[in-house]
Order: sequence, then structure tokens, then C-alpha cells
Amino acid sequence: MNRRWQALARLFAVQGTWNYERMLGVGMGYAAEPLLEDLKAVDPVRHGEAVVRSAEFFNCHPNLAGLALGATTRAEYEGVPGVQIARLRTALCSPLGSMGDQLFWAGLVPGLVAITLLGLVLGAGPWAVLGFLLVYNAIRIGTAVWSLRTGMAAGMRVGNAIGSSWLPRAIEWAGPLAGFTVGLAVPVVANWYLAGFGWSAAIGAAGVAVAGIALIRWFGPGLTSVRFALLAMVLLLLFRRLGL
Amino acid sequence: MSNFSPHVVIPLLLWGTVVGLDLVSVPQALISRPIVAGVVAGLLAGDVQAGIRIGVLFELFALDVLPAGAVRYPDYGPATVGAVALGVGTPWELGLGISAALGLVLAVLGGWSLQVVRRANARAIQRRSAALSAGESSAIRRLQYGGILRDTARGFILTLAGLVLASTIADSVRLDRQTAVAFTLVAIGSALAAAASGAFRNSGRGTRLKWLIAGVATAIVWSVLT
Repeated sequence: MNRRWQALARLFAVQGTWNYERMLGVGMGYAAEPLLEDLKAVDPVRHGEAVVRSAEFFNCHPNLAGLALGATTRAEYEGVPGVQIARLRTALCSPLGSMGDQLFWAGLVPGLVAITLLGLVLGAGPWAVLGFLLVYNAIRIGTAVWSLRTGMAAGMRVGNAIGSSWLPRAIEWAGPLAGFTVGLAVPVVANWYLAGFGWSAAIGAAGVAVAGIALIRWFGPGLTSVRFALLAMVLLLLFRRLGL
Repeated sequence: MSNFSPHVVIPLLLWGTVVGLDLVSVPQALISRPIVAGVVAGLLAGDVQAGIRIGVLFELFALDVLPAGAVRYPDYGPATVGAVALGVGTPWELGLGISAALGLVLAVLGGWSLQVVRRANARAIQRRSAALSAGESSAIRRLQYGGILRDTARGFILTLAGLVLASTIADSVRLDRQTAVAFTLVAIGSALAAAASGAFRNSGRGTRLKWLIAGVATAIVWSVLT
């Protein structure tokens, strides 16, 4: 396996040492190790400094970490001053985090999950789940390969490379896709669960849902959906004990 | 009736551990999503329909989570495995609610355990700060393997706790039919509230909200026509 592939494989564990001090920093250092190996023979002092920089604080979306890894590695080989490389790392944190979150966590993942929910509800069974895993991981691995390659090719000009790539356009359609598919899936799933219960039970569950939406919105982060569900279950047990 | 024989429990324990590891550490292939964790757990436990019903329910809860940045969130993967272990072999109308209650408690515990692992990772980094400052690649490797090992242990312990609790509940808790159905309806209603809350929050007030409403309208037309 050549060093670039080794780094790519290690990127899939970039959050292996996630913590509140360096966040992805150590994972990035781990992924950078094979890429920086050739620098050891050329300039051992520079290699040591590069290893230190590679494991410093860093945070972004894990699927786009390759862009920062590739760009900073190329900059190390080009002899760019360490201060500039550290500044590039810092500058990439927010945009790569924001773009990755919008594309994957708020777009692609809920969109694909909603399609899978529809597949399960319509009787596709485990095949729907297999399709979900294949599609998501194909996109994710493709993105990781592209990220590392683009970062390595662009170096310090990685910002321009990202701006002119497919990424901003993909973000534009990922949100609406997720909105439509989730909007479609949730009522269909509700119908799938409640169809066999009869009207009174369905109205009861709908009442819990409406109360939940209102209370979660009203209380904000103080009342998460999990807390609401557990609270509702405790109240139910209490009412049953009281014979209500 | 749930089956807690070794040939069911051991694969579930291994699966729950892998699922727990997938959430953050490696490989983030989304096998930790409840629909995946639940369906595979159902296959392993010999009741794929229970896996689907429970997996879909927890997926609705998971749609409320946006794991952006350093946000704290429940861990639904091993929780779904524990819930499926409890729910297999029981008519879903009666078993879904109590399985959901167990799974939600496990999900909260899972979220808390993530914080424990993250703090342990930070302490390990502080212990090796001199080696990191000296640019020792071996220190980075050891930290990385240590972090992954801690998360593996987290997934294992969480799944084990889930299976032990599932076995205890299966042996000791007896709900009358009416209460069991009411529990299921509360779980479904809460899950729908979670999914809808997440959908509205993520949609904001822009284009995405229009697409969300279009999706809901399509679903209503679909249900009327079919």
C-alpha cells in the first residue's frame, strides 16, 4: 500500500482520539504520519516540526479532513513557513466543518435515511439497509479520495480549489433533498405504525407527538426529545398506577 | 419471548461493540444508525421484523440529532441492539414501548459514556504532551490506538449493560396488555415528535422548509390515493 493510500485508510479513524482539547488533532497527526515519512530523509528537523504541527488542535467534518491533511502536507514539502501552515489549519476548521455538516449531517445522511425508512416501510426489508450503506459509503469514500487528492494538489491554494469544486453546489441541493425526503418519510412511517391500532389510539399517539413538538420547541435544549419520551413514559406508568 | 442463549447474546455483544465504535471513532460507515444496528440485531436474534420496527423507531429519534462540532448527543447504536434483544419474539404492538424505554435509557447512558471517553482521551494527551511536543510519531500512534481501545471498551460495556438489563426486564417486568399498548403508542408519538422537531429545526425558514412541506403534502396525497 503506498503512503497516500495508508493516509487515506487512516483518515477513516481520524476521530479515534476525539477530545475537547485537540479535537481531531491527534487523529490528523496519525493520518499525516505516512505522508510525512519522505520528509524525514530530506529534512529531519523539518519533519519533527511537521509532526508536531500535524497533531495540534484541529476540528472539521471528518469526511472533509483530507482537504486539510493534503494541503498542509504539501505545504510542509514546499517549505512554507510553519506559522503560515498553522494559520491555514486554523482557517480551514470552520469552513470544512460547516460545509461537511451541511452536506453530510444535515443533507445527505437524513435524505438517505428517509429513503431507507420508506424502503423498510414499503417492505424492502434488509435490502433497503444494504442499499443505504452501499450508497452512503460509496459517496463518502469518493469524497475522502477527492479531498486528499485535491488538498495535495492545491497546497496553500486549497481555499480556491474548494470554492471552484462541486462541493458548494452539492450543499445547495443536499438540503432541499433532505427536507423533501424527511417530509415524505415521517408521515408514511407514522401511518405504518398506527394503521393497525384504530382511530382512538392513532389520535392518542398524534396527541403525544403534537405535545412533544410544542414542548420541545418551548423548552429548547432543556427538554430534548429523549427526555420528553422518558417523561411521557414515566407519567403513563404513574397514571396507570393511579388507575386512570 | 426474548432469547438470551449464548449463540444469540455473543453475536449481539460483538455487533453492539462494533456499532458503538462506528459512531465516532472508526470507520464512521453509519452502521451505528439505528436502522442498520436494529435490522442486523434482528437478523442475529432471529426476528428481523422486530429489528425493523425498533430500528425505525430509534431512527426517528436519531433524526433529531445533528452531530455538528462538539455537540453532545445520545448514542442510539448499542441502545438499539439492547432494545432489539428485549423486543424479539414479542408481538410488536406489545413489545415496542418497553423496548423503546430500555433503549432510550441506554442511549442517554451512551451519550454520557462518550463524554467519559473524551475526557480520558484528553488526560492521555496531557500525559504524553512532552512526547507530542518533541514530534514523536510513536506517541501519536499510541494515543490513537488508546483512544480506539477506550471507545471499543465503551461500546462493549454499553452493549453488555443493555443485554443484562434486557434479560432482567424480560424475566421480571410484566405489563398488562392495555399498559403495554399505551407504552408503544407513547413511544411512537414521542419518536414522531423527535423526527418532526429535528426536521423543522434543520429546515429553518428558507428553501428547505418549502421542500419539507412539499414532502409532507406528497405523503398526504399518497396516503389518500393508496
